[in-house]
Amino acid sequence: MNCEELIKYLSDYIDNNLDEALRADAEEHLRTCHNCHVALDTTKKTILIYKELGGQPIPASKRSDLYARLQKAIEARKECPPGTENSA
Amino acid sequence: MSEETELVAALQSEQPEAALGLLFERYADRIYRLALGILGDTGSAEDVVQDTFLSALTHRQQFEGRSSLATWLYRIATNASLSRLRERSPLPLPEEDPVSDEGAVIPLPKELTEWRFTPDQMLLDGELREELDKAVQRLPDSLRVVFLLRDVQELTTEETADIVGISVGAVKVRLHRARLELRERLAEYVAETMGG
Repeated sequence: MNCEELIKYLSDYIDNNLDEALRADAEEHLRTCHNCHVALDTTKKTILIYKELGGQPIPASKRSDLYARLQKAIEARKECPPGTENSA
Repeated sequence: MSEETELVAALQSEQPEAALGLLFERYADRIYRLALGILGDTGSAEDVVQDTFLSALTHRQQFEGRSSLATWLYRIATNASLSRLRERSPLPLPEEDPVSDEGAVIPLPKELTEWRFTPDQMLLDGELREELDKAVQRLPDSLRVVFLLRDVQELTTEETADIVGISVGAVKVRLHRARLELRERLAEYVAETMGG
């Protein structure tokens, strides 16, 4: 496997989607190619960083506001269900 | 009866409020973060959360159980977010040109400095966090949505394909391109400011 092929299969390698033979080829290349090793390591870190960044909860006060807005909207629908404006 | 089946039955009953409340409890945070990732501003993300749950209430009888409730909610939220993006910019921006999934050329990584820091250490850098937001917002919409669903929300390739309405192969290609583009932008920032 050369560098171009390794990069082509990089996501499949990370996601463990390669068959045994291709995975062995990729690992053999990674043992000898520093640049591809760095590309793999930094891509994995990029994914982890975004996962971590996206894993933060909504601030509690904002969450309560959102729930209150939804409840209000549900109540408003009960008082004035869709279509009632034409039912008179 | 499984918990999901019970929840669907409750949602589709005459008194769906409790089931909707439970769905909100479980998925509001994730939907908010997905919308924030797609749209880039908190006000619009809040509106998408509200739109998603109201739409779920309005269209609950149309849920047929061909996907999970979670996938169904993600689909509503993704469509609501994309619809807001289109409202903002009725004409496609150059970066929104359709992505050619078949035969897409994957560029080789250019910036290959080693990163000495762990992801946790890197996230302590406020400027880097801004850079991360900018980088994901600069991705074409079609790549950004797939990246957010797969790598941030941790949905499967099949679920992502179902939500976005593309093939499994197209999800894989878009995810790969998104990861490499984000890696490159982050690598440039790290090399310039953190010395690798």
